[in-house]
Amino acid sequence: MQVDRAEFLRYLGWRGQETDEALLQKLDEAARRCLEIAQPRSTVRRFPLDGDLCLGGTGFVLEGRDVRAHLAGCHEVYLFAATIGIAAERELARLSARGAYEALLFDTACSCAIESYCDDVCEDLQKSCARRLLPRFSCGYGDFPLQAQRDICRLLRTDTAIGLCCDESCLLTPRKSVTAVVGITDEPPAPAAQRACGSCAACKHTGCAFRRKDG
Amino acid sequence: MDFLSFLQRNIPLFDGAFGTMLQQRAGGPVGTVPELWNVERPADVAAIHRAYAEAGADVITANTFGANEFKVGSAEEAEKLIRAGVRLAKEAAPDKFVALDIGPSGRLLEPMGSLSFDDAYAAFARQAKAGAAAGADLILIETMADLQELRAAVLAARENTSLPVLCSMTFEENGRTFAGCDPVCYALTASPLADAIGVNCSLGPDKLLPVVQALLDHTNKPVLVQANAGLPDEQMNYSVGPEEFAAAYRAFLDAGVRILGGCCGTTPEHIRRLRALIGRRRPRAARRKFISAVCSATKAVFFDGVRTIGERINPTGKKAMKQALREGDYAFVQGQAIEQAEAGADILDVNAGLPEIDEKAALVRLVREVQAVCDLPLQIDCGKPDAVEAALRRCCGKAIVNSVNGDPAVLRTILPIVKKYGAAVVGLTTDERGIPRTAAERVRIAGDIIHACAEYGIPQENILIDCLTLTVSAEQGQARETLEAIRQIKSRWRVRTTLGVSNISFGLPERRIVNTAFLTAAFAAGLDAPILNPNIPENMQAVHAWRVLSGEDKNCAAYTARYGGAKAESAPAGGTAGHERPADARAELFRCIRKGLPQAAAACATLLEKEAPLDVVNGSLIPALNEVGDDYEKGVLFLPQLIAAAESAKLCFDEVKKRLPGGETERGKIVLATVKGDIHDIGKNIARTVLENYGYKVIDLGKNVPPEQVAAACEREDVRLCGLSALMTTTVPAMEETIRLLRARCPRCRVMVGGAVLNADYAKKIGADWYCKDANADVKIARYLFEGGEEVPTL
Repeated sequence: MQVDRAEFLRYLGWRGQETDEALLQKLDEAARRCLEIAQPRSTVRRFPLDGDLCLGGTGFVLEGRDVRAHLAGCHEVYLFAATIGIAAERELARLSARGAYEALLFDTACSCAIESYCDDVCEDLQKSCARRLLPRFSCGYGDFPLQAQRDICRLLRTDTAIGLCCDESCLLTPRKSVTAVVGITDEPPAPAAQRACGSCAACKHTGCAFRRKDG
Repeated sequence: MDFLSFLQRNIPLFDGAFGTMLQQRAGGPVGTVPELWNVERPADVAAIHRAYAEAGADVITANTFGANEFKVGSAEEAEKLIRAGVRLAKEAAPDKFVALDIGPSGRLLEPMGSLSFDDAYAAFARQAKAGAAAGADLILIETMADLQELRAAVLAARENTSLPVLCSMTFEENGRTFAGCDPVCYALTASPLADAIGVNCSLGPDKLLPVVQALLDHTNKPVLVQANAGLPDEQMNYSVGPEEFAAAYRAFLDAGVRILGGCCGTTPEHIRRLRALIGRRRPRAARRKFISAVCSATKAVFFDGVRTIGERINPTGKKAMKQALREGDYAFVQGQAIEQAEAGADILDVNAGLPEIDEKAALVRLVREVQAVCDLPLQIDCGKPDAVEAALRRCCGKAIVNSVNGDPAVLRTILPIVKKYGAAVVGLTTDERGIPRTAAERVRIAGDIIHACAEYGIPQENILIDCLTLTVSAEQGQARETLEAIRQIKSRWRVRTTLGVSNISFGLPERRIVNTAFLTAAFAAGLDAPILNPNIPENMQAVHAWRVLSGEDKNCAAYTARYGGAKAESAPAGGTAGHERPADARAELFRCIRKGLPQAAAACATLLEKEAPLDVVNGSLIPALNEVGDDYEKGVLFLPQLIAAAESAKLCFDEVKKRLPGGETERGKIVLATVKGDIHDIGKNIARTVLENYGYKVIDLGKNVPPEQVAAACEREDVRLCGLSALMTTTVPAMEETIRLLRARCPRCRVMVGGAVLNADYAKKIGADWYCKDANADVKIARYLFEGGEEVPTL
């Protein structure tokens, strides 16, 4: 898990503006504090996937055209959930009460950290899996409903396993957390590493503030 | 025989894992609601219970761990599964005790999550009642990670049934729960509420001993242990076999653990081994431990040296705090909490005694908002029994109640509440006859209070006696009486002492000199917990010095680390050097704001020596902010730079306000809130910063704010602009509802909205007047609305 400075700046909406040493130092401080406080945890479970996108004998069905298209040809999936923990959440609350600047930087550093941690988890999964894995696909991507988050949390018992809850609005708490489904293809592993939502060029959210220019 | 009688004479043995046994029978994952088996496959459930009964368990745990309304979908369904589960266990093991099992709700409670304490309590209460009605013999609340959730569950079980209540938390390798709670805070908080406390799940038994020992050291209640059979591998296999498991449990028994059982991965064979281990062992009589401490969920404070209580969260004589409480601006209060914590306070006093507000509601809110940002234990400063109870109920940890006095009527109403929640209490040495004149009278009243506490079962270690500080310039002999009373009380009883300090110097010049002298004299007399303003450097200097003199600061290490090489700070000095001409000073101020430098404050102070405050605002601060805002819009600056500039401007406005008392700089009043159900408030916080630093008065209602609360605040303050934020599609409906209510109740108030999933069309659809794409958009709207700035067309 790391907080990559380029990612950090991109999450902050940086588009090449001039930055000074003081700002960069603040970024580094926020990143360091985040990594110091974060307690990343994850839980993963493998399920068979039937033609109706139902997971094993659980009765849980993955809904939405986008996730169906994404998982085309997969007969198994990993379900996973990850969080950087509640200590970071508490620190963010403390910083928010002191002022918005450090809170914004810390919040953004935490966003970078959880994504990076998920990359690590997926990389490890790929290493231990004899078949190629698809990039992770999270609730809220395309028409894959946020509501599925609730079932994923229940199936993985994330509350007792990693301290992750899903609330009435289907939001994850602590906030800096991710749930996702990772398709297991029938093909041998590809050499390239996987990233969050694959390529920005393929995504229909063209107005997304975090869209990478290089796609 | 009931369970508690059995517990007195025996070392009860619980059963082992249920989930892993269920999975074996299912041959794979069980689905989202394993408790459904109680009605769909009762024979399998009964078979597992029987296996544990045959292995020698005394207590069979019903398959009801996750049967709550949040996990199964409705309260009715949860109750149905609980009834079925408890009945199955009773039928399968008719000669055993049956425990209703209550696990976590699966939701995160406020303040970090969105589930309120009261809603959690209500759900747990329904579970407890259903279990009791179905014939459970006891209630086991287990695998908790959040101390506040555990409190809600235990209180619900206690107040809605007459069954024994056992509770248990799960700990990580770092010795804390997922939510950061440590065993000491857990023991201090839960011991007064439950019949037994303990640990389950967590790690393998070999790694749990330090946690178990910490629990044993800080409770006078029986301790239970139900460990996992090690940690699972990817196939959910657990590594610790029955023999190894039982061997590790020997250490628990030797340490004084009173109740045993197994958690994930354990089998009837594990339980059989524990049965053999217990053999003919009977409980040893335990010596009562003296534990004088208070805590939050994550931080314990022991009264084994001088501990300071910060007094700033109290409206008495504090204009800004009064205004914040009246307006519901808890962001201000949170700032005060953090400031005192950083200044070195160990405990924070919270007081909402303002005649024109609902003290009970405000006190509850104070507790919640302060605990959201600060881990210090709290002192609930209130004399109204219903408000004290409401605050203690929602206060996570072990708090202090400030205060009772020797008046029997006061003792009768407050002490039962103190006892119920296991709080500490301040006893003021006055009574119905008024303020005593002598040390002897104070000691007598202290004795009355200590005696009354004992009658209610409140031990001396939970009492802090306050010997009263009177104003020395009015009654010069009283200071000595106070000090003498402290000395006598400390020599006669094992109570602690507290004292509000600053009153001593009222009416005298250079009050700090007298205050610190009195403080030091009081320490020498035996004062443990002064109530003071930690932001005054001299106060904390006296504390740090006393810790050296008393030997508490071993080798003077803390003192040397703090003061070595640095000059002791004193009251802040004003004035800065440089920049003779106003034009230079203006340019410097511009530069500091643009760069977001804290030196902006000094630059502003310099300029204020040459220009009138309002000229500084209109001629320098606002133009500087405008330029930064424009550059942000053009993409010359990006968000962190905008925010840094806004924060440095805030420091400048603070300088201006020092010279302009009476709020003449206020440019308009705005209510901000993150809507009900949403806890993502960073965008709202950014908007607050930028607006405030333009000189607008922002009433920040916080996150997860119900529509009625937003409407009530807008109505009460008669505001013309309200800003709402929501992050997700799932919380936008709450925003729509809030707008609807605002329209009905505050027709004059306009609404601007922002958040990740919103756009102008969506904002229009839900009835907003404006959509804010970024933090600067809010300012443009405010300037248009309040100051006739450039028009911002509504949607």
